[in-house]
Amino acid sequence: MTQPQQPHHEPTRLSIPALVLAWLLPGAGHFFLGQVRRGVLIGVGVLSLFFSGLFVGGIDVVDSGLVVSNTFRKVTGQTATRQVTPDGDAIWFVGQAFTGPVAFVVDIVHQHRFKVIDPAEPRVLRSARPDEGRDPVTGMAVIGGTPPVTKSLARVNEIGTLFCTLAGLLNLIAMIDAGWNHRPRRGEPGYAGGAT
Amino acid sequence: MIPDLVPSLLAWRPFIDPLDAHGTWYLLLLPLVFFISMVWKAVRLPSLESYWRQVLLMTAQGIVGMVALALTSYLLVQVYVRIASGG
Repeated sequence: MTQPQQPHHEPTRLSIPALVLAWLLPGAGHFFLGQVRRGVLIGVGVLSLFFSGLFVGGIDVVDSGLVVSNTFRKVTGQTATRQVTPDGDAIWFVGQAFTGPVAFVVDIVHQHRFKVIDPAEPRVLRSARPDEGRDPVTGMAVIGGTPPVTKSLARVNEIGTLFCTLAGLLNLIAMIDAGWNHRPRRGEPGYAGGAT
Repeated sequence: MIPDLVPSLLAWRPFIDPLDAHGTWYLLLLPLVFFISMVWKAVRLPSLESYWRQVLLMTAQGIVGMVALALTSYLLVQVYVRIASGG
């Protein structure tokens, strides 16, 4: 009696460069392993999801609530041991961070270009209120100006946040797949070219 | 209606300000499911020969699943709860 043929799987091996590259640029880990088409599809999917989230919810959906002290000092001239950002979405940013450096760049731009320092409490960096503007030099809230960014609210905010967070979580799956990959790599027997 | 939209469109900056899609938010679930399917199938399929067919199938399954959940929730809240409360 013949046994049904089992699909052939290569043993899973760790590839740290592929893992790191997959975080640096979504899809780059698979590209590094020679799985070009797979890498391109992952990259396009993850980045489309992330930027669709920004398009829907605006820059407000990527908000770690973390502020780099040196930049705070440079902008305000003040030294603060810890900045407080009461309207940050740190828990969502944990997922978004897996999208790679692009999430951190968007977050840093958000914190330092679109938030205002509360004049009453300089430790507090927050979103501007509808009747406040932002002093471009000091970053302080100015009563009577236009807010630097429209606050994202309700379902648009929820869906934008969801898009960006799912982009990160899907890239985490892609990172694990690239890091512990069992498919034949470039130069190995069974490698079917960049179309894999 | 169009003159009302013009000032907000002029002020809107893509990727910085939120999209004014409060009335049509549910349509945004379509690209969400499509992109999730795209990445998931790119990772999971052993061969990419039938990739796009699999992506479209998973997208359709996701949409049908969400519609079914929405209908179930609607029936639960609007029909069952009303009957159970004697209204």
